[in-house]
Amino acid sequence: MQPLSVKTVFQKLSHWGLLWAVLYGLMNILSNQLTLPAAPAIAIRPQVALPMIIGFFYGPLPGFVTGFLGNMIGDVLYGYGIGQFWNWHIANGLMGLVPGLAAMLAGIKVMKTVRDFGIIEAAVVVSCAVAVGVAVCLDLLFIHLMKFPESFNAWILPAFIFNAVSGFILVPVFFLLARRVVITLETRTILTITSLLVVAILSTSITITWAMHDDLTSYNALVNAIYFAGIVSVIMVIIGFASSIYFVKRITGPVTLLTEAAVSVEKGEYDLESIQPVSRRTDELGQLSRVLQNMAGEVYQREQTLKKQVEQLQIRIDRKKMDQDVADIVGTDYFQDLREKVKEFRKK
Amino acid sequence: MAKIISIHSFRGGTGKSNTAANIAALLAGGGKKTGVVDTDIQSPGIHVLFGIDQAAIKYTLNDFLWGKCEIRHASYDMSQAQGIAPPGKLFLIPSSVKTGDIARVLHYGYDVNLLREGFQRLIDELALDYLLIDTHPGLNEETLLSIALSDVLIIVLRPDQQDYQGSAVTVEVSRQLEVPSLLLLVNKVPSILNMDDLKQKVEKTYNCPVAGLIPHSEEMMVLASSGIFALHYPHHPVTELYRRVADMLTA
Ligand SMILES: Nc1ncnc2c1ncn2[C@@H]1O[C@H](COP(=O)(O)OP(=O)(O)OP(=O)(O)O)[C@@H](O)[C@H]1O
Ligand SMILES: [Mg+2]
Repeated sequence: MQPLSVKTVFQKLSHWGLLWAVLYGLMNILSNQLTLPAAPAIAIRPQVALPMIIGFFYGPLPGFVTGFLGNMIGDVLYGYGIGQFWNWHIANGLMGLVPGLAAMLAGIKVMKTVRDFGIIEAAVVVSCAVAVGVAVCLDLLFIHLMKFPESFNAWILPAFIFNAVSGFILVPVFFLLARRVVITLETRTILTITSLLVVAILSTSITITWAMHDDLTSYNALVNAIYFAGIVSVIMVIIGFASSIYFVKRITGPVTLLTEAAVSVEKGEYDLESIQPVSRRTDELGQLSRVLQNMAGEVYQREQTLKKQVEQLQIRIDRKKMDQDVADIVGTDYFQDLREKVKEFRKK
Repeated sequence: MAKIISIHSFRGGTGKSNTAANIAALLAGGGKKTGVVDTDIQSPGIHVLFGIDQAAIKYTLNDFLWGKCEIRHASYDMSQAQGIAPPGKLFLIPSSVKTGDIARVLHYGYDVNLLREGFQRLIDELALDYLLIDTHPGLNEETLLSIALSDVLIIVLRPDQQDYQGSAVTVEVSRQLEVPSLLLLVNKVPSILNMDDLKQKVEKTYNCPVAGLIPHSEEMMVLASSGIFALHYPHHPVTELYRRVADMLTA
């Protein structure tokens, strides 16, 4: 057997999700301090994206280990004990398992198309639904801690919504950070639109969350909440608008340049310097630009060669051969006879 | 006075028949009484452009040359079929396509002088303004006779070294026959060539006016001699170029 170096041990552990589980557990303890104002029993846990990401990147099992073990570690260290909420260990594990399965079945390693993006985000949402659903069923069957319908509003729905939104926002960010997004026009566009969506979701969430701090039964508090909502909306509209202008320009600017270049080729001007920056892009537009440059270059070359040939076109006549041919014809009796007769016709 | 116009080229396939048919159609369309004779007895072809029904052809130029009929019996009025309105008229005098007839000509030949008589009678009997003669490539006896009888000789050539060389011989021979008017027509010019430049070079080389330069035309290729181009595409730029040649002849 090969001796195990520290590095390979580390790699093995991370591959099996063990290291990530520890990280997840520590993050859980930290975030247990934070709770949603409207649902105090549910902690704010944006780290739910972690088991999902491990599922996507390393597979269903490491994803499950990260969620399951991480939740357990967090509970133990926090003092809940290992077995009190064991159904939530399983639920957390599922949030890693489901994305892992989805990526495996759909054959997604990197995000390359809108289809990939859709499957990834759908897997995020489905994993949250499955997790919460399983936790509830297990409780109903074995634990009997939840009460209905109270628990539904206080626990279940907020847990699902918050986990789903966190995953929805953070998973693509992690894909970007891990350089697992192939930047194409398609991914660029879907990420742009999604980021605008996220801005909108965040603005409403922030507004609502903030408003929840106050007791909204007084008239003044309600007015303040509405003002606040207005200010947040204006800021978000400005940010969203400015960023969409930027992104739209990033996409349509090169298209305009390419179109102008193509038109110049059609006119026979071959003004292709202007698309040099586009050619350096790695996406479809970059490829289109390089193809256009190559093709135009070839056409230009061919045209130049032809033009040169045309300029050198000469009508060469072999005078000697011509004189010989003429003499052969003119020398015949028939021709001499014909010439005499023609003179007569023409006189008439 | 009627004008006899021969269309000739040193090599085959230059577009003689198409040139003859188009110019004839434009002359007739302009109200002139025009006849077209196919003297390419060895490889007749111009009747195809006129779409004449083989069954309708009783006598041909061959029959006249062998004394089997009068020349007017071998002439067919194509005006109606080609949509030529009076006073314009368009007549076709075809050659026989029967292999036996062709073989006979090749073997025994015919009296070339009779051809001259035929032309004259056609002009008189059909009251022609123009008689166009589509010729066999090269300079055989009947072609030399046609050239000798012509008031105008149009030499069709492609921008091609062999055509250039052959046309030089034809020009020289025609000068010795004292043809009153010699015109060059450059056909199938590739679009890449500069027309003005080519025209200058050709005129300088032969010391002879160029009546027109006809570009190599996709539409013409596709029509593939199944009709007369100028009548199918009356407003096509190529038709415009043919019309200028026809106008030159009527001027
Ligand atoms: N300007 C043109 N552009 C394209 N095709 C042309 C043009 N002129 C003639 N052609 C085509 O070239 C071919 C030969 O034309 P045509 O039969 O008129 O030549 P020709 O000199 O009479 O030939 P031949 O020597 O066999 O009698 C035809 O298929 C015709 O359609
Ligand atoms: Mg012909």
